[in-house]
Amino acid sequence: MLALDVKNLNKKYGNFQLENVSLQLEKGYIMGFIGANGAGKTTTIKSILNLIQVDSGEINILGKNAIEHEMELKQEIGFSFGGTDYYTRSKIKTLTNVIKRFYHNWDDETYYNYLKKFKLDENKKIIQLSMGMKVKYSLALALSHGAKILILDEPTSGLDPVARGELLTIFQELIEPGEISILFSTHITSDLEKCADYITFIHNGKIINSSEKEDFINSYRLLNGKESQLFEVKDQLISYNVNSFGFTGLIHTKDFDPSSNIKSTLPNLEDIMIYVSKKEEMYV
Amino acid sequence: MYNLLMKELKLGVSPIFYILPFLTGALMLIPGWLYFLVILYFCFITIPNMFGVYKAQNDLMFTMMLPVTKNNIVKAKIGVVVILELLHIVIAVIFGMISTRLYPNLTYFFFEPTLGFWGLCFTMLAIFNIIFFSMYYKTAYKYGAATFTSVAAAIIFAGGAEWLGIQNSIVFDLFKGSGVDNSLLQISILIAGFVLFATFTIIAYNISIKQFKKVEI
Repeated sequence: MLALDVKNLNKKYGNFQLENVSLQLEKGYIMGFIGANGAGKTTTIKSILNLIQVDSGEINILGKNAIEHEMELKQEIGFSFGGTDYYTRSKIKTLTNVIKRFYHNWDDETYYNYLKKFKLDENKKIIQLSMGMKVKYSLALALSHGAKILILDEPTSGLDPVARGELLTIFQELIEPGEISILFSTHITSDLEKCADYITFIHNGKIINSSEKEDFINSYRLLNGKESQLFEVKDQLISYNVNSFGFTGLIHTKDFDPSSNIKSTLPNLEDIMIYVSKKEEMYV
Repeated sequence: MYNLLMKELKLGVSPIFYILPFLTGALMLIPGWLYFLVILYFCFITIPNMFGVYKAQNDLMFTMMLPVTKNNIVKAKIGVVVILELLHIVIAVIFGMISTRLYPNLTYFFFEPTLGFWGLCFTMLAIFNIIFFSMYYKTAYKYGAATFTSVAAAIIFAGGAEWLGIQNSIVFDLFKGSGVDNSLLQISILIAGFVLFATFTIIAYNISIKQFKKVEI
């Protein structure tokens, strides 16, 4: 079953547009949503949450139309917008007491268990929490109202490596029983190499690729060769860099002839992001 | 809806704004003062401060994440303002009653706190609400222009009413002359003011939800 099914989303702004954005997230998995700043990650997430009105396209969450069943679905969605704070001078306790009334399936026992697990003191004010703690608090809220899908916008950005590692472990634990699915956007690609099952890469409002992580990485090769070899593959390369040692470039695996003498390696997500973004600049 | 209202009252509104009506209400004790100001202080102080807090605390985003409809978000927001407005008026009325007993032989240059005067205050707030909310919900966070315009309109109404009370013999009669002792007339003006307040606020709600539905967060 699909936890999230986004089909052909279009949204036009003055100088930016989402163009036919589609992505599918299977129930019980983690999808990493990557892209540079301004690529359209947050706009896509806002569309999913019906915070902005799309020009066309369809969004289904847990098998239900996101707009028609908005209220019902919001009971099952947990969210975190990294870097956005609400009522920072209020205590966790005060905020929770207000929030919990809105959810039919709120469970106090689960909530207190998570507070304990995440070492959150409910007498602390939001402003006193570190960024990692704030994400954990959002998670505790989401999980206490039985959220089946977590939509997290940049939850790990701005966290130190220890806090990031800890959060990624929590994400993996959460999806383990197969009930919860996570969509999380980030530009820190190494986080996804550790924990994502699926990768969706958005660039300039368009989805470049959306598939299983291994397939995603496998569909590209990073080539290292001498400058003299560049002409052999130049037309097929997505983009490349030339330096005194030769050239480095990214190519679609299907366009690469393995029998050639050019050294090829598997790229990491960061390489893919950088070279695909560079392609645009080369043609501008 | 009840939960949203509770959210507004507990998180959105600072406790000072529940106490402020007592301070502004006490201004009714100044003999022969321009009593429209007592209610106008709500528009001068509470409104921009409250809506400034909403903006600073990302209330819009916070509320939109909750499982609530846009209609209810607007309803709760207008609801909390109406509750505060009523609180201001009720407390001012009580202080007004004390004031008229304290100074029984005062000659009023501006309006005396009669029931009819409170009807005028309701009318003033009706004008304030319809302008403020329909402008505010174009963005659901920019409150500056909405506050300025609605306060200006409320001041023009209050100023105009006071001027008529001095210049126009009919209005003078109604509020300062023989009309003061005519309870039926006074109650009728009060009810008419309240009906106008309710009607304009409902219209403000309907305009606001139309505007708010177009807002992108």
